Amino acid sequence: MVELLLIDAKWEGKIKLTDELKEHLKKNKIKSVALFASVQFTDLKDFIKELEENKIKVNITKAKRTNEKMQILGCDCYEDSFQDNIIENSDAILYIGDGLFHPKALLLSQIKSKNFKPIIIFDPIANKIKEINKKDIEKQIQKYKRNLKLFINSKTLGILVTIKPGQQYLNSAKNLKEKLKEQGKKAYIFIDNNINLSQLENYPFIQCWVNTACPRIGTDDILNIEKPLINIKEAFEPIKALEELDNEK
Amino acid sequence: MYNLELNKLIQEIKKRNSKQVLIQLPDGLKKGSDKIIDFIEDKTDAKAFIWFGSCFGACDLPLGMDILKIDLIVQLGHNKFNKEVW
Repeated sequence: MVELLLIDAKWEGKIKLTDELKEHLKKNKIKSVALFASVQFTDLKDFIKELEENKIKVNITKAKRTNEKMQILGCDCYEDSFQDNIIENSDAILYIGDGLFHPKALLLSQIKSKNFKPIIIFDPIANKIKEINKKDIEKQIQKYKRNLKLFINSKTLGILVTIKPGQQYLNSAKNLKEKLKEQGKKAYIFIDNNINLSQLENYPFIQCWVNTACPRIGTDDILNIEKPLINIKEAFEPIKALEELDNEK
Repeated sequence: MYNLELNKLIQEIKKRNSKQVLIQLPDGLKKGSDKIIDFIEDKTDAKAFIWFGSCFGACDLPLGMDILKIDLIVQLGHNKFNKEVW
């Protein structure tokens, strides 16, 4: 049997509340933050203490697919991805880490919200602060809505399934195929390891694709393809998903 | 800069008596994969290999490695992933 060992590779530096970050929070009148970090940066005990000493309330939760509190993964990108709704109760989200893939999940988790919270990214390696907001995913939201509309009107669909253990949803794909059949639609299930979207053009008979693998394929990668593609989560109730996007809470 | 816990890794390989180890790294760590392999092969009797392809997270593990008689997969940069069941 093949055994598995995971090493999370923590960052060895010390994460400190810098003057610049303190100033940024003060300038934007941030009195409370929903604190998240990628797994390399979740040793934040002293950092939280510093925030609290500066009268900033720190709200913490656990995202569903992660293994520790405060950690965020790219796939925890839905409004129900968190144990507690701390985003709603915070002035802003503070993300500790580098790159944009993980903090963008925090933007995507709010696409149905009227009370959208900005994300302050603090990169402790480069010692840089960057803020991202709803406008940074506006193109994605528009394409997502367009794809949902095209899905509703499609008769022939392709359901993509990966063999990656943590992303494999063959049973859900089969359930969806049955449901679509009841609606008079025809669906085919396609299986691969990496979902390489350049393969889509080889199947011109498919009018719309449904992704069952990483949900970020249906939110981010759609910008690079012309054919409509939606995530399976929305495929069971596409009209409801569309209405929720149009009537932000 | 990142703590790869290579001494722990060596201990684990010895404890498990692993003979063939596959190292899987996210893109940002791939450039240092040669040093990890050299370290393992220097400190243990195991043969070590590098997964060439993707490493999107702990959701993304190489399959079929038993065919190659790999007995330990080590993925760095990620922790346990809780798959959503629905």
